[in-house]
Amino acid sequence: MADTDPNPLVGGFYRVDLAQPLPEAAGGLSAFAAIDRRGNRAPAMAIRADRRAPVRNRALQTLTTHIDGMLSPLAHGPGPDVGGEAGWYVICEAPIGRPLSASPRPWSEGALIDLVLRPAAYALEQLREHGLTHRAIRPGNVFQAAPNRPVTLGAAWAAPPAMHQPAVFETAYAAMCIPTGRGDGTIADDVYALGVLLIALALGRDPLAGLDPLSIVHRKLELGDYAALTAGERLPPLLADLARGMLAEDPDHRPPPSLLRDPGSARGRRVAARPPAHASRPFRMGGLTVWNNRTLAMAAAFSPAETVAAIETGTLTYWLRRGLGDSALAVKLDDLSRGRPAEASGDKAASAAFLAMRAAMSADTLMPICWRGLILFPGGFASALAAAYGADPDTASKLDDIVQLEIATLWATMREDRESSASHIADGRRWRAIARAKGPASGLPRLAYTLDPLMPCASPLFAGKWIYQAGQLAAALDAAAVSKDVELLEPAIAAFIAARTERWLDTEVKALAGPSDAAGSAMNALRLFAELQSRFHPAPLPQLAAWIAARAEPLVELWKNRERRAAVEEQLKAQAGAGWISGMAPLLDNAPGLAADRDGLRAAANDLAVLDAELRGLATGGAHRADIAARLGQEIAAGLGVSAVAATLLLAALG
Amino acid sequence: MAKAPKPPKDKKPASGGGKSAVWLSGLACGALVAIAPGTAALAFGLLAPGLLAAKFDREAGRPVARAVLLCGLAGCVHPTIALWNMGQSFDTAMAILSDPATLGRAWAAAAAGWLMTQAIPLGVRAALEAGAIARTARLRLLRERIAEAWGLDDPPGTAG
Repeated sequence: MADTDPNPLVGGFYRVDLAQPLPEAAGGLSAFAAIDRRGNRAPAMAIRADRRAPVRNRALQTLTTHIDGMLSPLAHGPGPDVGGEAGWYVICEAPIGRPLSASPRPWSEGALIDLVLRPAAYALEQLREHGLTHRAIRPGNVFQAAPNRPVTLGAAWAAPPAMHQPAVFETAYAAMCIPTGRGDGTIADDVYALGVLLIALALGRDPLAGLDPLSIVHRKLELGDYAALTAGERLPPLLADLARGMLAEDPDHRPPPSLLRDPGSARGRRVAARPPAHASRPFRMGGLTVWNNRTLAMAAAFSPAETVAAIETGTLTYWLRRGLGDSALAVKLDDLSRGRPAEASGDKAASAAFLAMRAAMSADTLMPICWRGLILFPGGFASALAAAYGADPDTASKLDDIVQLEIATLWATMREDRESSASHIADGRRWRAIARAKGPASGLPRLAYTLDPLMPCASPLFAGKWIYQAGQLAAALDAAAVSKDVELLEPAIAAFIAARTERWLDTEVKALAGPSDAAGSAMNALRLFAELQSRFHPAPLPQLAAWIAARAEPLVELWKNRERRAAVEEQLKAQAGAGWISGMAPLLDNAPGLAADRDGLRAAANDLAVLDAELRGLATGGAHRADIAARLGQEIAAGLGVSAVAATLLLAALG
Repeated sequence: MAKAPKPPKDKKPASGGGKSAVWLSGLACGALVAIAPGTAALAFGLLAPGLLAAKFDREAGRPVARAVLLCGLAGCVHPTIALWNMGQSFDTAMAILSDPATLGRAWAAAAAGWLMTQAIPLGVRAALEAGAIARTARLRLLRERIAEAWGLDDPPGTAG
């Protein structure tokens, strides 16, 4: 079994060699050499995924063939423990050579076009055709095997999209998101990162080095991306034109990868967007200096309370009219503020958050979801939730708001002119339906497991283990059931079962929302674990069976006939000893038998009532019996008297 | 205030009938004394305990007096036949009454009747109590078995 082998084969073929770490090979993630047991000599590496940073499952499922110019994934699965902590490994082609960040130097324009732009564009075009993005293009994750050799994009599959990207290599909108909430994005985001990479390589250093991420985002939004990144330095003309297009504010204006393979054509692509209007005087809000709509949107995203206050007091709209000259936006914000009391939600905080988000989106439609200071794209919701669940209650609470209030739907409808909101509306409704289901197997935990099929069970009972399938769960529960007092059906586990076995155990999972008394809980656990064993783990589970037997006392006590109860107890012990929960279920989950037992109990109670009445009658019937005895005795005496008279007369007659 | 319901009138049919019976008995006795004074004297003498019992027995139906009279009557049969065989004279009757053996037998029969009214109810009562005890024991055993089989506790007030 995989969970008993200390060094299981990942994907069935790859042995992870923990003794050979590859520190520079995975763009900052832990990577080790991997050996293909089939004898394939091509170098491979195993990238260890973080429990709180889910791997990119869709990309791993989709990328089944090698893509030139990129380290393609080969396999993934559970692997050896490190420090007692189980891990998930993504096996990728290992890079040949070192990352570009290892030897920073200015690159020539020709080298950048031929060795960086063209091979990277080709890889991105292949990804686009698969419907995927890379989202990890940065000097530390782009490799060159030898001088004058084309570069290779590194692996990007063992962490959420763009999670490890520095702010400078992402658009301002992605960079302002939480690292796990940037989402897959589009191939235009990769084109942007490639554009920044070209500038960095042309300059021979990382642009905006030394600035914190917030300052980088602010600078990009205030000055425009190209101006902020080049900071006035001159680039070769072809490269400058390409970079301007690749760094366009609107993703639709960036050249697609296919066009980038022909830099001459890509250079001719015009950027139609106008630079944002610059205010004559700044507006201070939430510690940020606002000069234009884009920085205003950023301030609204990071400081929602100050934004709402500025709108309600009119200072912001005054500045918009007099300072920025954007009366249309001022009118829109006034309308939003006036419409606020009419909102359906009675929660003032939520109402304020709605206003702040609408203000941000009104100022800049490219903004991600901004909810009470939490910023993310809907595409990054699943990974953000997986990271926050159980570790960051504040973020989890905000994500819960996003689900319950269908914020993603609002976000999508506010940018309907850019893309259809239909899929977001459908997703929002589906998420809310899952999160609003009743019982312990619902809410955010179930949503987290549903959205990320590889997310391990987050229960503290499974600390150090990577339980991601229902089949593994049965054995893990058996190991965890060391005592009757252990609560095995805690929300993290119940939700995990619900998400991983929904079709098969739907009835049992829904029953968890039912009565929570001792007998009801025990019956629910019995049914659920019996079904789990019979469907997913057809082998003895002695500890789990003993746990259920210990908790089944209220169920045994439902049998009122003592002889029957003793028989049930005996059979239950036998089944528990053998580890067969599915054999225990018919003993306790026996509605017809219990109904007959209850009928028998009622009949016995009736019999007892009759007997008690008769006993009471006998106990209190002394006087009645005395009366009967007196009357009967006197009648007998009278009868004897009559007999005596008759006998005497008879004797006299006979002489 | 609602009027209290009137107590039902005591029709006393038995009392009226009793009075008639007394009058008829008195008439019969008077006739007996007039027609056969010897027999009447003998009867009064031999049935004196029965008449006393009838006087003092206040129970409905006078069960004690009934038994005493019946048994006393049995004791009067032979002396009355003897009187009738000897001419039914008053003197003969007095002679018979003055015989202690005859008087003793008649009164002893009356005493036996009284004794039966006292002893037989006791015997019947003893038999009934014995039956009740035996049934109680059987019912308790059955109750314990049912309660034990179904885990039902004894309800209060039935123990003991």
